[in-house]
Amino acid sequence: MDYEFHWNIVFQNMPELLNGAFVTLHVSVLAMFLGVVIAILLAIAKMNDSKPFCYVATVWVEIARNTPALFQIYMAYFGLGAFGIHLSPYVAVLSALVFINAGYLTETFRGGFQSIPATQYSASKSLGMTSIQAYRYIILPQMLRRIYHPMTNQFVWSILMSSLGILVGMSELSGTTQRLQSLSFRTLEFFIVAAVMYFVITKLVLFTSSLLARRLFKGEI
Amino acid sequence: MIRKLATLVFACAAFTSVSATADQLDTVIQRGTLNCGVVLDFPPMGYFDENNEPAGFDVDYCNDLGEVLGVDVNVLNLTWGDRIPSLISGKTDVVIGSTSDTLERAKTVGFTYPYFVFKFQVISHEDKNIDSFEDLKDLKVGAALGTTYETEYLAYADKQGWGRDNYTSFKSENDAFLGLYQGKVDAIISTNTNIATKLRSKEFADFVAGPYVPNYDDVVGIIAKRDETAWINYLNLFLIHQIRDGNMNKAYNKHFGVDAPADLIQSLRDNK
Repeated sequence: MDYEFHWNIVFQNMPELLNGAFVTLHVSVLAMFLGVVIAILLAIAKMNDSKPFCYVATVWVEIARNTPALFQIYMAYFGLGAFGIHLSPYVAVLSALVFINAGYLTETFRGGFQSIPATQYSASKSLGMTSIQAYRYIILPQMLRRIYHPMTNQFVWSILMSSLGILVGMSELSGTTQRLQSLSFRTLEFFIVAAVMYFVITKLVLFTSSLLARRLFKGEI
Repeated sequence: MIRKLATLVFACAAFTSVSATADQLDTVIQRGTLNCGVVLDFPPMGYFDENNEPAGFDVDYCNDLGEVLGVDVNVLNLTWGDRIPSLISGKTDVVIGSTSDTLERAKTVGFTYPYFVFKFQVISHEDKNIDSFEDLKDLKVGAALGTTYETEYLAYADKQGWGRDNYTSFKSENDAFLGLYQGKVDAIISTNTNIATKLRSKEFADFVAGPYVPNYDDVVGIIAKRDETAWINYLNLFLIHQIRDGNMNKAYNKHFGVDAPADLIQSLRDNK
């Protein structure tokens, strides 16, 4: 390959790249947080005996898990646009990521809940706990410890998938990289630096999660 | 032993004769195929015709180039962002893809003389009544990501102090027009040629072409690897011949329905 690397152009544009990286970070953190909240509700709905709740949750999970993320982001932006609902690129990407995260995590949570033996619950009740206390002190901590890894996997996935924001003109890390490289044509340099940034963001998030997990689960995961 | 040595000597000789000074021009002629990159979502310069075959002004240039080289032509469909990686990775020998010849880009790739000049223009729904570029101040404006018109619009907006809150970028030319059609933005910036093509379609019957981006000519060149000087020289002569032999006018007529304007030909001849 006869190609001279020019790194200085990348450093000149560092502030803009870091802005993009920040957008990537906060869209994926927000999407994860909202996704977890909705997934807990959906998991409870799925284990519920009432048919309509269970039905809604099942449809949500099936669509989220069996269609490409790219398609969902496109639908949130241009699909809704065809009906006159105009989301900003940021909101379109955020809602698509929340939708997918919730779908995947629902199954994770359901598996987590069902892996805790029912006797644990009965034992807590017989110690005089209310059901809220039983969940809060006995069931949830054990369950969260079991699903910690699938959850962080999903988190990493949503950071990396936010790069699809480029499809709808969102100025996250990929979109910014694409714009800057087309001005200077220094494609390789910008892409390499962006890849390193993604790596750093992902590692940062995993590190923070493990700190948080130690606080929450009182011990090694 | 002698035989082994002889083999080695022959192998070396064969190898050096191949790698001596074969440049891109030799490579293309010896290969018998020209890999020519074109952006095919940019009518009338590049698009797919009704038989789903590549067509357009840039595609005609690829075919004309293949003809003078005496080789087959393989047209590769590129996006705006693929143009450089395709050259560097050797997938394309040349990209005839309406590439604006900025000095910033010329640090990376080799440009030929200009082969076309575009104007950047506004297109909007007729209700918007945009008479001058200043009228965009309070409107939502969009353009395709990474294009020179995006850069020009943003530079203008920054200079006027409009801010960037009203600006939306789209992944491709097609998405920008889709966004305009759906009403995500009030107006988009594109090239006069692309806008003229779109206005002929029934979807854009209620849309009108607006003012040009002030004081800006978008001059484009053919690009190749920066160090392939002999190849770029050949391409330059090819461009001169396109005008001299009437091929440029023929392609212009075919895609724009009129003869190439005299001032366009003159500015290409002057290498402006």
